[in-house]
Amino acid sequence: MLKLNNIEVSYLNVVKVLHGISITVENGVVVALLGANGAGKTTTLKAISGLLRIEEGEINDGTIEWDGIRIDKKNAVDIGKLGIVQALEGRRVFEHLNAEENLLVGAFSRSNLKDVKADLNMVYSYFPRLESLKHNIAGYLSGGEQQMLVIGRAMMAAPRLMMLDEPSLGLAPMVVDQIYDIIKRFNMDRKTAILLVEQNVRVALNTAHYGYVMENGRVVLDGSADYLKGREDVKEFYMGISASGEKKSYKDVKHYKRRKRWL
Amino acid sequence: MDILIQNIITGVATGMVYALIALGFALIWKSSRVANLALGQLVLISSWFTYSMLVQFKFPFWLGMILTIAFAILLGWLIERLALRPLIGQPILSLIAITLGLAYFLEGFTAFIWPQGQGNLPKVFPQTSIQIGPAMIQQELLWAAVISLILFILLSVFFKYHRMGIAMRATADDQLAVQACAVPVNRVFSMSWIFACVVAAIGGVLISSIAAINYGLVETGFKSFSVVILGGMESFLGCIVAGPIIGLCETFGGSQFGSSIKEVIPFIIIVIVIMIKPFGLFGEERIERI
Ligand SMILES: Nc1ncnc2c1ncn2[C@@H]1O[C@H](COP(=O)(O)OP(=O)(O)OP(=O)(O)O)[C@@H](O)[C@H]1O
Ligand SMILES: [Mg+2]
Repeated sequence: MLKLNNIEVSYLNVVKVLHGISITVENGVVVALLGANGAGKTTTLKAISGLLRIEEGEINDGTIEWDGIRIDKKNAVDIGKLGIVQALEGRRVFEHLNAEENLLVGAFSRSNLKDVKADLNMVYSYFPRLESLKHNIAGYLSGGEQQMLVIGRAMMAAPRLMMLDEPSLGLAPMVVDQIYDIIKRFNMDRKTAILLVEQNVRVALNTAHYGYVMENGRVVLDGSADYLKGREDVKEFYMGISASGEKKSYKDVKHYKRRKRWL
Repeated sequence: MDILIQNIITGVATGMVYALIALGFALIWKSSRVANLALGQLVLISSWFTYSMLVQFKFPFWLGMILTIAFAILLGWLIERLALRPLIGQPILSLIAITLGLAYFLEGFTAFIWPQGQGNLPKVFPQTSIQIGPAMIQQELLWAAVISLILFILLSVFFKYHRMGIAMRATADDQLAVQACAVPVNRVFSMSWIFACVVAAIGGVLISSIAAINYGLVETGFKSFSVVILGGMESFLGCIVAGPIIGLCETFGGSQFGSSIKEVIPFIIIVIVIMIKPFGLFGEERIERI
Protein backbone atom coordinates (compact mmCIF):
# COMPACT_ATOMS: atom_id res chain seq x y z
CA MET A 1 0.00 0.00 0.00
CA LEU A 2 1.21 3.47 -0.93
CA LYS A 3 0.54 6.38 1.36
CA LEU A 4 1.43 10.02 0.78
CA ASN A 5 1.04 12.22 3.82
CA ASN A 6 0.98 15.97 3.25
CA ILE A 7 3.70 16.00 0.63
CA GLU A 8 5.14 19.39 -0.22
CA VAL A 9 7.41 19.73 -3.23
CA SER A 10 9.40 22.58 -4.66
CA TYR A 11 11.63 22.85 -7.71
CA LEU A 12 15.05 24.51 -7.53
CA ASN A 13 14.32 25.35 -3.90
CA VAL A 14 12.02 28.19 -4.86
CA VAL A 15 9.06 27.20 -6.98
CA LYS A 16 6.65 25.48 -4.64
CA VAL A 17 4.45 23.16 -6.66
CA LEU A 18 2.74 20.77 -4.26
CA HIS A 19 1.17 22.17 -1.11
CA GLY A 20 0.46 19.14 1.01
CA ILE A 21 -0.80 16.22 -1.04
CA SER A 22 -2.27 13.18 0.69
CA ILE A 23 -3.08 10.17 -1.43
CA THR A 24 -3.54 6.50 -0.69
CA VAL A 25 -3.27 3.65 -3.17
CA GLU A 26 -4.43 0.34 -1.74
CA ASN A 27 -2.94 -2.89 -3.03
CA GLY A 28 -4.38 -4.04 -6.30
CA VAL A 29 -6.53 -0.97 -6.85
CA VAL A 30 -6.66 1.44 -9.79
CA VAL A 31 -6.54 5.06 -8.67
CA ALA A 32 -6.92 8.03 -11.00
CA LEU A 33 -5.23 11.36 -10.43
CA LEU A 34 -7.08 14.06 -12.32
CA GLY A 35 -6.65 17.76 -12.79
CA ALA A 36 -5.94 20.57 -15.18
CA ASN A 37 -2.58 21.31 -16.79
CA GLY A 38 0.02 22.36 -14.28
CA ALA A 39 -1.93 21.03 -11.30
CA GLY A 40 1.06 18.98 -10.18
CA LYS A 41 0.04 15.48 -11.22
CA THR A 42 3.33 14.59 -12.89
CA THR A 43 5.22 16.11 -9.99
CA THR A 44 3.29 13.87 -7.60
CA LEU A 45 4.27 10.76 -9.57
CA LYS A 46 7.90 11.85 -9.69
CA ALA A 47 7.92 12.43 -5.96
CA ILE A 48 6.80 8.83 -5.50
CA SER A 49 9.21 7.28 -8.02
CA GLY A 50 12.21 9.28 -6.87
CA LEU A 51 12.70 10.85 -10.28
CA LEU A 52 11.97 14.24 -8.75
CA ARG A 53 15.46 14.71 -7.41
CA ILE A 54 16.97 14.18 -10.84
CA GLU A 55 14.92 17.15 -12.03
CA GLU A 56 16.15 19.35 -9.19
CA GLY A 57 12.89 18.98 -7.30
CA GLU A 58 12.74 18.30 -3.61
CA ILE A 59 10.24 16.98 -1.09
CA ASN A 60 10.26 19.69 1.55
CA ASP A 61 7.76 18.19 3.90
CA GLY A 62 5.55 15.16 4.43
CA THR A 63 6.19 11.44 4.07
CA ILE A 64 5.71 8.74 1.48
CA GLU A 65 5.27 5.20 2.76
CA TRP A 66 5.29 2.00 0.77
CA ASP A 67 4.16 -1.01 2.79
CA GLY A 68 5.01 0.94 5.90
CA ILE A 69 8.56 1.82 4.78
CA ARG A 70 9.52 5.46 4.24
CA ILE A 71 10.62 5.90 0.63
CA ASP A 72 10.69 9.68 0.29
CA LYS A 73 14.44 9.80 0.87
CA LYS A 74 15.31 6.89 -1.42
CA ASN A 75 16.66 7.22 -4.96
CA ALA A 76 14.90 6.14 -8.13
CA VAL A 77 16.81 2.88 -8.54
CA ASP A 78 16.04 1.67 -5.01
CA ILE A 79 12.39 2.66 -5.32
CA GLY A 80 12.22 0.79 -8.62
CA LYS A 81 13.58 -2.30 -6.92
CA LEU A 82 10.80 -2.08 -4.33
CA GLY A 83 8.30 -2.66 -7.13
CA ILE A 84 7.22 0.86 -8.06
CA VAL A 85 7.53 1.83 -11.69
CA GLN A 86 6.61 5.05 -13.47
CA ALA A 87 5.87 5.28 -17.19
CA LEU A 88 6.76 8.84 -18.11
CA GLU A 89 4.52 11.32 -19.82
CA GLY A 90 4.95 11.68 -23.56
CA ARG A 91 5.83 8.18 -24.85
CA ARG A 92 9.50 8.28 -24.04
CA VAL A 93 10.70 5.15 -25.82
CA PHE A 94 14.39 4.49 -26.37
CA GLU A 95 14.34 5.66 -29.96
CA HIS A 96 17.35 3.84 -31.35
CA LEU A 97 16.60 0.51 -29.68
CA ASN A 98 14.20 -1.95 -31.19
CA ALA A 99 10.90 -2.69 -29.50
CA GLU A 100 12.03 -5.85 -27.75
CA GLU A 101 15.17 -4.18 -26.43
CA ASN A 102 12.97 -1.42 -25.03
CA LEU A 103 10.97 -4.03 -23.16
CA LEU A 104 14.11 -5.71 -21.84
CA VAL A 105 15.39 -2.45 -20.37
CA GLY A 106 12.16 -2.38 -18.39
CA ALA A 107 13.25 -5.61 -16.71
CA PHE A 108 16.74 -4.31 -15.94
CA SER A 109 16.69 -4.83 -12.20
CA ARG A 110 15.32 -8.36 -12.35
CA SER A 111 17.76 -11.21 -12.17
CA ASN A 112 15.57 -14.23 -12.87
CA LEU A 113 15.87 -14.48 -16.65
CA LYS A 114 13.21 -17.18 -16.91
CA ASP A 115 10.63 -14.90 -15.31
CA VAL A 116 11.71 -12.07 -17.58
CA LYS A 117 11.22 -14.28 -20.61
CA ALA A 118 7.79 -15.29 -19.36
CA ASP A 119 6.82 -11.67 -18.81
CA LEU A 120 8.03 -10.77 -22.28
CA ASN A 121 5.54 -13.27 -23.62
CA MET A 122 2.92 -11.88 -21.29
CA VAL A 123 3.45 -8.37 -22.69
CA TYR A 124 3.20 -9.78 -26.21
CA SER A 125 -0.05 -11.48 -25.29
CA TYR A 126 -1.48 -8.18 -24.08
CA PHE A 127 -0.07 -6.30 -27.06
CA PRO A 128 0.14 -8.74 -30.00
CA ARG A 129 1.02 -5.76 -32.18
CA LEU A 130 4.31 -5.34 -30.31
CA GLU A 131 5.32 -8.91 -31.00
CA SER A 132 5.13 -8.39 -34.73
CA LEU A 133 7.09 -5.16 -34.34
CA LYS A 134 9.69 -6.45 -31.94
CA HIS A 135 12.63 -5.98 -34.31
CA ASN A 136 11.54 -2.51 -35.42
CA ILE A 137 13.35 0.60 -34.24
CA ALA A 138 11.18 2.18 -31.56
CA GLY A 139 11.68 5.73 -32.81
CA TYR A 140 9.80 4.89 -35.99
CA LEU A 141 6.78 3.24 -34.37
CA SER A 142 3.44 5.04 -34.47
CA GLY A 143 2.28 7.03 -31.47
CA GLY A 144 -0.10 4.32 -30.35
CA GLU A 145 2.54 1.63 -30.73
CA GLN A 146 5.00 3.72 -28.75
CA GLN A 147 2.48 4.14 -25.96
CA MET A 148 1.91 0.38 -25.91
CA LEU A 149 5.66 -0.06 -25.74
CA VAL A 150 6.01 2.32 -22.81
CA ILE A 151 3.25 0.53 -20.90
CA GLY A 152 4.72 -2.85 -21.81
CA ARG A 153 8.11 -1.66 -20.58
CA ALA A 154 6.55 -0.72 -17.25
CA MET A 155 4.90 -4.15 -17.07
CA MET A 156 8.29 -5.76 -17.60
CA ALA A 157 9.46 -4.49 -14.23
CA ALA A 158 6.87 -6.86 -12.65
CA PRO A 159 5.74 -3.92 -10.55
CA ARG A 160 3.40 -3.97 -7.60
CA LEU A 161 2.52 -0.37 -8.31
CA MET A 162 2.48 0.90 -11.88
CA MET A 163 2.17 4.64 -12.41
CA LEU A 164 1.05 5.78 -15.85
CA ASP A 165 1.29 9.41 -16.86
CA GLU A 166 -1.33 10.36 -19.46
CA PRO A 167 -1.34 7.17 -21.52
CA SER A 168 -4.11 8.59 -23.73
CA LEU A 169 -2.16 11.68 -24.76
CA GLY A 170 -2.47 12.35 -28.47
CA LEU A 171 -4.05 9.01 -29.34
CA ALA A 172 -7.14 8.27 -31.39
CA PRO A 173 -10.23 7.36 -29.28
CA MET A 174 -10.19 3.79 -30.49
CA VAL A 175 -6.56 3.28 -29.50
CA VAL A 176 -7.27 4.87 -26.12
CA ASP A 177 -10.07 2.39 -25.47
CA GLN A 178 -7.86 -0.47 -26.56
CA ILE A 179 -5.02 0.58 -24.25
CA TYR A 180 -7.33 1.13 -21.30
CA ASP A 181 -8.87 -2.27 -21.85
CA ILE A 182 -5.43 -3.77 -21.48
CA ILE A 183 -4.61 -1.69 -18.41
CA LYS A 184 -7.79 -2.96 -16.81
CA ARG A 185 -7.04 -6.56 -17.70
CA PHE A 186 -3.49 -6.29 -16.43
CA ASN A 187 -4.78 -4.94 -13.12
CA MET A 188 -7.23 -7.81 -12.79
CA ASP A 189 -4.84 -10.57 -13.90
CA ARG A 190 -1.81 -9.52 -11.88
CA LYS A 191 -3.41 -7.59 -9.02
CA THR A 192 -0.97 -4.79 -9.74
CA ALA A 193 -2.02 -1.47 -8.23
CA ILE A 194 -2.18 1.32 -10.79
CA LEU A 195 -1.91 5.04 -10.24
CA LEU A 196 -3.19 6.76 -13.31
CA VAL A 197 -2.72 10.39 -14.34
CA GLU A 198 -5.19 11.44 -16.99
CA GLN A 199 -6.69 14.43 -18.75
CA ASN A 200 -9.24 12.15 -20.30
CA VAL A 201 -11.44 12.01 -17.23
CA ARG A 202 -14.17 9.90 -18.74
CA VAL A 203 -11.83 7.06 -19.67
CA ALA A 204 -9.90 7.32 -16.43
CA LEU A 205 -12.98 7.10 -14.23
CA ASN A 206 -14.32 4.17 -16.22
CA THR A 207 -11.13 2.29 -15.41
CA ALA A 208 -10.30 3.46 -11.91
CA HIS A 209 -11.90 2.41 -8.66
CA TYR A 210 -11.05 5.62 -6.88
CA GLY A 211 -10.03 9.11 -7.93
CA TYR A 212 -8.41 12.29 -6.71
CA VAL A 213 -8.87 15.70 -8.29
CA MET A 214 -5.96 18.10 -8.03
CA GLU A 215 -5.84 21.80 -8.55
CA ASN A 216 -2.86 24.09 -8.08
CA GLY A 217 -0.88 21.59 -6.09
CA ARG A 218 -3.70 20.54 -3.80
CA VAL A 219 -6.20 17.69 -3.72
CA VAL A 220 -9.55 19.40 -3.94
CA LEU A 221 -11.79 16.39 -4.20
CA ASP A 222 -11.61 12.64 -3.91
CA GLY A 223 -13.95 9.70 -3.88
CA SER A 224 -14.92 6.49 -5.60
CA ALA A 225 -14.97 6.61 -9.36
CA ASP A 226 -18.75 6.26 -9.43
CA TYR A 227 -19.14 9.08 -6.96
CA LEU A 228 -16.89 11.38 -9.00
CA LYS A 229 -18.61 10.47 -12.24
CA GLY A 230 -21.92 11.44 -10.71
CA ARG A 231 -20.85 14.83 -9.51
CA GLU A 232 -22.11 17.77 -11.53
CA ASP A 233 -18.95 19.83 -11.03
CA VAL A 234 -16.67 17.03 -12.22
CA LYS A 235 -18.90 16.51 -15.22
CA GLU A 236 -18.85 20.19 -15.95
CA PHE A 237 -15.23 21.08 -15.46
CA TYR A 238 -13.37 17.91 -16.26
CA MET A 239 -15.58 15.92 -18.55
CA GLY A 240 -16.83 18.90 -20.52
CA ILE A 241 -20.48 18.04 -20.04
CA SER A 242 -21.74 21.55 -19.41
CA ALA A 243 -24.71 23.68 -20.20
CA SER A 244 -22.69 26.88 -20.28
CA GLY A 245 -19.37 26.91 -22.11
CA GLU A 246 -17.98 29.44 -19.67
CA LYS A 247 -14.64 28.57 -18.14
CA LYS A 248 -14.51 28.77 -14.37
CA SER A 249 -12.12 27.49 -11.82
CA TYR A 250 -13.28 24.53 -9.86
CA LYS A 251 -12.68 26.60 -6.75
CA ASP A 252 -15.36 29.10 -7.69
CA VAL A 253 -18.15 26.62 -7.11
CA LYS A 254 -19.09 24.04 -4.54
CA HIS A 255 -16.73 25.34 -1.94
CA TYR A 256 -18.69 23.75 0.81
CA LYS A 257 -18.56 20.10 -0.11
CA ARG A 258 -14.86 19.73 -0.75
CA ARG A 259 -12.71 17.79 1.64
CA LYS A 260 -9.72 19.95 2.39
CA ARG A 261 -7.17 17.25 2.81
CA TRP A 262 -4.28 19.66 2.84
CA LEU A 263 -5.37 21.21 6.11
CA MET B 1 52.36 -6.43 -57.39
CA ASP B 2 53.77 -7.76 -54.12
CA ILE B 3 54.34 -4.16 -52.99
CA LEU B 4 50.68 -3.50 -53.66
CA ILE B 5 49.49 -6.48 -51.63
CA GLN B 6 51.98 -5.67 -48.93
CA ASN B 7 50.67 -2.12 -48.71
CA ILE B 8 47.09 -3.32 -48.58
CA ILE B 9 47.71 -5.75 -45.78
CA THR B 10 49.86 -3.33 -43.81
CA GLY B 11 47.29 -0.57 -44.26
CA VAL B 12 44.40 -2.74 -43.18
CA ALA B 13 46.24 -4.09 -40.16
CA THR B 14 47.42 -0.66 -39.00
CA GLY B 15 43.92 0.64 -39.52
CA MET B 16 42.56 -2.13 -37.30
CA VAL B 17 44.60 -0.77 -34.42
CA TYR B 18 43.27 2.74 -35.07
CA ALA B 19 39.84 1.14 -35.06
CA LEU B 20 40.50 -0.45 -31.69
CA ILE B 21 41.44 2.90 -30.18
CA ALA B 22 38.45 4.50 -31.89
CA LEU B 23 36.24 2.03 -30.03
CA GLY B 24 37.23 3.97 -26.92
CA PHE B 25 35.42 6.95 -28.38
CA ALA B 26 32.41 5.04 -29.69
CA LEU B 27 31.90 3.30 -26.34
CA ILE B 28 31.43 6.56 -24.50
CA TRP B 29 29.43 8.23 -27.22
CA LYS B 30 27.15 5.20 -27.34
CA SER B 31 26.08 5.46 -23.73
CA SER B 32 26.36 9.12 -22.85
CA ARG B 33 26.78 11.23 -26.00
CA VAL B 34 29.96 12.65 -24.54
CA ALA B 35 32.90 13.17 -26.92
CA ASN B 36 36.00 11.59 -25.45
CA LEU B 37 38.73 13.89 -26.74
CA ALA B 38 41.40 12.30 -24.57
CA LEU B 39 41.76 9.16 -26.70
CA GLY B 40 45.44 9.58 -27.60
CA GLN B 41 46.36 10.63 -24.08
CA LEU B 42 44.68 7.56 -22.62
CA VAL B 43 46.74 5.44 -24.99
CA LEU B 44 49.87 7.36 -24.04
CA ILE B 45 49.50 7.07 -20.28
CA SER B 46 48.64 3.39 -20.28
CA SER B 47 51.57 2.62 -22.59
CA TRP B 48 53.91 4.37 -20.18
CA PHE B 49 52.36 2.48 -17.31
CA THR B 50 53.03 -0.79 -19.12
CA TYR B 51 56.58 0.42 -19.73
CA SER B 52 57.08 0.91 -16.00
CA MET B 53 55.71 -2.53 -15.22
CA LEU B 54 57.65 -4.45 -17.85
CA VAL B 55 60.86 -2.47 -18.28
CA GLN B 56 61.43 -0.60 -15.03
CA PHE B 57 60.04 -3.14 -12.57
CA LYS B 58 60.82 -6.09 -14.86
CA PHE B 59 57.59 -7.90 -14.08
CA PRO B 60 56.78 -10.94 -16.22
CA PHE B 61 54.64 -10.14 -19.21
CA TRP B 62 51.41 -11.71 -17.93
CA LEU B 63 51.64 -9.84 -14.63
CA GLY B 64 52.43 -6.59 -16.43
CA MET B 65 49.30 -7.05 -18.56
CA ILE B 66 47.07 -7.77 -15.59
CA LEU B 67 48.39 -4.69 -13.83
CA THR B 68 47.93 -2.57 -16.95
CA ILE B 69 44.30 -3.66 -17.25
CA ALA B 70 43.80 -2.99 -13.54
CA PHE B 71 45.36 0.45 -14.03
CA ALA B 72 43.02 1.15 -16.96
CA ILE B 73 39.98 0.12 -14.93
CA LEU B 74 41.02 2.38 -12.07
CA LEU B 75 41.76 5.23 -14.47
CA GLY B 76 38.35 4.93 -16.14
CA TRP B 77 36.61 4.80 -12.82
CA LEU B 78 38.48 7.84 -11.53
CA ILE B 79 37.88 9.89 -14.66
CA GLU B 80 34.15 9.29 -14.55
CA ARG B 81 33.98 9.88 -10.82
CA LEU B 82 36.11 13.01 -10.59
CA ALA B 83 35.75 14.70 -13.96
CA LEU B 84 32.48 13.66 -15.58
CA ARG B 85 30.03 12.90 -12.79
CA PRO B 86 29.96 16.42 -11.34
CA LEU B 87 28.85 17.58 -14.77
CA ILE B 88 25.90 15.24 -15.31
CA GLY B 89 23.07 17.19 -16.88
CA GLN B 90 25.30 20.12 -17.86
CA PRO B 91 25.36 21.47 -21.40
CA ILE B 92 27.25 19.44 -23.98
CA LEU B 93 29.89 22.15 -24.33
CA SER B 94 31.01 21.74 -20.72
CA LEU B 95 31.34 18.02 -21.29
CA ILE B 96 33.51 18.58 -24.34
CA ALA B 97 35.60 21.11 -22.44
CA ILE B 98 36.13 18.66 -19.61
CA THR B 99 37.41 15.84 -21.81
CA LEU B 100 39.68 18.30 -23.59
CA GLY B 101 40.96 19.44 -20.20
CA LEU B 102 41.40 15.81 -19.27
CA ALA B 103 43.51 15.29 -22.40
CA TYR B 104 45.91 18.08 -21.42
CA PHE B 105 45.98 16.97 -17.82
CA LEU B 106 46.90 13.39 -18.77
CA GLU B 107 49.56 14.60 -21.17
CA GLY B 108 51.14 16.84 -18.56
CA PHE B 109 50.88 14.17 -15.91
CA THR B 110 52.58 11.66 -18.20
CA ALA B 111 55.41 14.08 -18.98
CA PHE B 112 55.86 14.61 -15.26
CA ILE B 113 56.02 10.94 -14.28
CA TRP B 114 57.84 9.66 -17.37
CA PRO B 115 60.04 12.62 -18.42
CA GLN B 116 62.16 10.51 -20.78
CA GLY B 117 59.69 11.12 -23.63
CA GLN B 118 60.72 8.02 -25.53
CA GLY B 119 60.63 4.38 -24.58
CA ASN B 120 60.41 0.89 -25.98
CA LEU B 121 58.32 -2.00 -24.80
CA PRO B 122 59.69 -5.51 -25.09
CA LYS B 123 58.45 -7.12 -28.28
CA VAL B 124 55.26 -9.01 -27.59
CA PHE B 125 54.84 -10.80 -30.89
CA PRO B 126 57.25 -12.80 -33.03
CA GLN B 127 59.39 -10.54 -35.21
CA THR B 128 59.64 -12.79 -38.23
CA SER B 129 57.75 -11.78 -41.33
CA ILE B 130 55.38 -14.23 -42.90
CA GLN B 131 54.66 -14.85 -46.51
CA ILE B 132 51.14 -14.18 -47.71
CA GLY B 133 50.97 -14.97 -51.40
CA PRO B 134 53.76 -12.96 -52.96
CA ALA B 135 53.98 -10.44 -50.09
CA MET B 136 56.06 -10.41 -46.93
CA ILE B 137 54.10 -9.14 -43.95
CA GLN B 138 55.25 -8.20 -40.49
CA GLN B 139 53.65 -10.80 -38.29
CA GLU B 140 53.09 -8.50 -35.33
CA LEU B 141 50.77 -6.29 -37.37
CA LEU B 142 48.57 -9.27 -38.10
CA TRP B 143 48.45 -10.21 -34.46
CA ALA B 144 47.43 -6.70 -33.55
CA ALA B 145 44.69 -6.79 -36.18
CA VAL B 146 43.37 -10.09 -34.88
CA ILE B 147 43.26 -8.85 -31.30
CA SER B 148 41.41 -5.71 -32.42
CA LEU B 149 38.92 -7.86 -34.26
CA ILE B 150 38.32 -10.07 -31.24
CA LEU B 151 37.72 -7.07 -29.00
CA PHE B 152 35.37 -5.62 -31.57
CA ILE B 153 33.34 -8.82 -31.63
CA LEU B 154 33.22 -9.08 -27.83
CA LEU B 155 32.07 -5.49 -27.42
CA SER B 156 29.51 -5.78 -30.20
CA VAL B 157 27.99 -8.89 -28.64
CA PHE B 158 27.97 -7.26 -25.22
CA PHE B 159 26.16 -4.16 -26.44
CA LYS B 160 23.73 -6.10 -28.57
CA TYR B 161 22.70 -8.82 -26.14
CA HIS B 162 23.83 -8.17 -22.60
CA ARG B 163 21.34 -6.58 -20.26
CA MET B 164 23.85 -3.93 -19.22
CA GLY B 165 24.90 -3.29 -22.82
CA ILE B 166 21.30 -2.71 -23.89
CA ALA B 167 20.75 -0.44 -20.89
CA MET B 168 23.88 1.52 -21.82
CA ARG B 169 22.51 2.19 -25.30
CA ALA B 170 19.15 3.12 -23.81
CA THR B 171 20.87 5.62 -21.53
CA ALA B 172 22.16 7.52 -24.54
CA ASP B 173 18.58 7.87 -25.79
CA ASP B 174 16.87 9.02 -22.63
CA GLN B 175 18.64 9.49 -19.32
CA LEU B 176 15.45 10.10 -17.36
CA ALA B 177 13.41 7.27 -18.79
CA VAL B 178 16.22 4.83 -18.15
CA GLN B 179 16.21 5.78 -14.48
CA ALA B 180 12.48 5.16 -14.42
CA CYS B 181 13.47 1.60 -15.38
CA ALA B 182 15.76 1.40 -12.33
CA VAL B 183 18.95 1.54 -14.41
CA PRO B 184 21.71 3.14 -12.34
CA VAL B 185 23.06 5.73 -14.77
CA ASN B 186 26.13 6.41 -12.66
CA ARG B 187 27.15 2.81 -13.12
CA VAL B 188 26.45 3.05 -16.84
CA PHE B 189 28.76 6.04 -17.24
CA SER B 190 31.37 4.51 -15.02
CA MET B 191 31.33 1.28 -17.04
CA SER B 192 31.63 3.10 -20.33
CA TRP B 193 34.75 4.99 -19.19
CA ILE B 194 36.23 1.82 -17.77
CA PHE B 195 35.66 0.02 -21.07
CA ALA B 196 37.11 2.93 -23.01
CA CYS B 197 40.24 3.02 -20.88
CA VAL B 198 40.76 -0.73 -21.12
CA VAL B 199 40.39 -0.62 -24.90
CA ALA B 200 42.81 2.32 -25.07
CA ALA B 201 45.29 0.45 -22.90
CA ILE B 202 45.19 -2.66 -25.07
CA GLY B 203 45.55 -0.53 -28.18
CA GLY B 204 48.44 1.27 -26.53
CA VAL B 205 50.30 -1.93 -25.73
CA LEU B 206 49.80 -3.22 -29.29
CA ILE B 207 51.05 -0.05 -30.96
CA SER B 208 53.86 0.64 -28.56
CA SER B 209 55.24 -2.85 -28.76
CA ILE B 210 55.30 -2.55 -32.55
CA ALA B 211 56.60 1.01 -32.74
CA ALA B 212 57.72 2.99 -29.69
CA ILE B 213 56.22 4.99 -26.88
CA ASN B 214 56.35 8.71 -27.58
CA TYR B 215 54.07 11.64 -28.23
CA GLY B 216 53.27 10.17 -31.60
CA LEU B 217 50.66 8.17 -29.69
CA VAL B 218 48.66 11.36 -29.25
CA GLU B 219 48.63 11.70 -33.02
CA THR B 220 47.42 8.14 -33.27
CA GLY B 221 44.55 9.36 -31.14
CA PHE B 222 43.80 12.03 -33.72
CA LYS B 223 43.74 9.42 -36.45
CA SER B 224 41.25 7.48 -34.41
CA PHE B 225 39.03 10.57 -34.32
CA SER B 226 38.97 10.53 -38.07
CA VAL B 227 38.02 6.85 -37.89
CA VAL B 228 35.17 7.70 -35.56
CA ILE B 229 33.85 10.53 -37.70
CA LEU B 230 34.09 8.45 -40.83
CA GLY B 231 32.51 5.40 -39.23
CA GLY B 232 29.73 7.28 -37.49
CA MET B 233 30.37 8.22 -33.85
CA GLU B 234 28.72 5.38 -31.91
CA SER B 235 29.03 2.53 -34.36
CA PHE B 236 31.49 -0.25 -33.55
CA LEU B 237 31.04 -1.59 -37.05
CA GLY B 238 31.79 1.90 -38.33
CA CYS B 239 35.10 1.85 -36.43
CA ILE B 240 36.13 -1.51 -37.74
CA VAL B 241 35.34 -0.55 -41.34
CA ALA B 242 36.60 3.03 -41.23
CA GLY B 243 39.82 2.07 -39.43
CA PRO B 244 41.22 0.05 -42.33
CA ILE B 245 40.04 2.71 -44.80
CA ILE B 246 42.08 5.33 -42.96
CA GLY B 247 44.97 2.88 -42.66
CA LEU B 248 44.89 2.21 -46.40
CA CYS B 249 44.74 5.90 -47.25
CA GLU B 250 47.74 6.39 -45.11
CA THR B 251 49.97 3.65 -46.48
CA PHE B 252 49.03 4.39 -50.08
CA GLY B 253 49.24 8.12 -49.56
CA GLY B 254 52.66 7.57 -48.06
CA SER B 255 53.97 5.47 -50.92
CA GLN B 256 52.41 7.63 -53.66
CA PHE B 257 52.80 11.18 -52.43
CA GLY B 258 55.45 10.98 -49.72
CA SER B 259 54.93 11.14 -46.02
CA SER B 260 54.23 14.84 -45.71
CA ILE B 261 50.91 14.59 -47.50
CA LYS B 262 49.97 11.21 -46.12
CA GLU B 263 48.75 12.67 -42.84
CA VAL B 264 46.27 14.91 -44.64
CA ILE B 265 44.65 12.26 -46.80
CA PRO B 266 42.38 10.76 -44.13
CA PHE B 267 40.95 14.19 -43.44
CA ILE B 268 40.23 14.87 -47.09
CA ILE B 269 38.38 11.55 -47.26
CA ILE B 270 36.38 12.48 -44.19
CA VAL B 271 35.29 15.82 -45.59
CA ILE B 272 34.05 14.09 -48.72
CA VAL B 273 32.23 11.32 -46.85
CA ILE B 274 30.59 13.69 -44.41
CA MET B 275 29.25 15.73 -47.30
CA ILE B 276 27.57 12.63 -48.67
CA LYS B 277 26.69 10.86 -45.42
CA PRO B 278 26.50 13.33 -42.54
CA PHE B 279 26.16 10.61 -39.90
CA GLY B 280 29.19 8.72 -41.14
CA LEU B 281 29.20 5.35 -42.84
CA PHE B 282 27.31 3.46 -40.14
CA GLY B 283 26.14 6.17 -37.77
CA GLU B 284 22.67 6.20 -36.29
CA GLU B 285 20.52 8.70 -38.02
CA ARG B 286 18.73 11.19 -35.93
CA ILE B 287 15.16 10.00 -35.76
CA GLU B 288 12.76 12.68 -36.84
CA ARG B 289 9.19 11.63 -37.31
CA ILE B 290 6.69 13.90 -38.90
N1 LIG C 1 11.59 20.59 -13.51
C1 LIG C 1 10.81 21.62 -13.15
N2 LIG C 1 11.34 22.77 -12.71
C2 LIG C 1 10.57 23.81 -12.34
N3 LIG C 1 9.24 23.79 -12.35
C3 LIG C 1 8.61 22.67 -12.76
C4 LIG C 1 9.37 21.53 -13.19
N4 LIG C 1 8.51 20.55 -13.54
C5 LIG C 1 7.27 21.08 -13.36
N5 LIG C 1 7.33 22.32 -12.89
C6 LIG C 1 6.17 23.19 -12.55
O1 LIG C 1 5.37 22.51 -11.62
C7 LIG C 1 4.00 22.71 -11.89
C8 LIG C 1 3.30 21.38 -11.97
O2 LIG C 1 3.79 20.67 -13.06
P1 LIG C 1 3.40 19.18 -13.39
O3 LIG C 1 4.19 18.74 -14.55
O4 LIG C 1 3.47 18.37 -12.18
O5 LIG C 1 1.87 19.39 -13.81
P2 LIG C 1 0.85 18.34 -14.43
O6 LIG C 1 -0.33 18.32 -13.53
O7 LIG C 1 1.49 17.06 -14.71
O8 LIG C 1 0.44 19.09 -15.76
P3 LIG C 1 0.12 18.47 -17.22
O9 LIG C 1 -1.28 17.96 -17.18
O10 LIG C 1 0.21 19.67 -18.11
O11 LIG C 1 1.12 17.43 -17.52
C9 LIG C 1 3.93 23.51 -13.18
O12 LIG C 1 3.62 24.84 -12.83
C10 LIG C 1 5.31 23.42 -13.75
O13 LIG C 1 5.65 24.62 -14.39
MG1 LIG D 1 1.98 16.05 -16.41
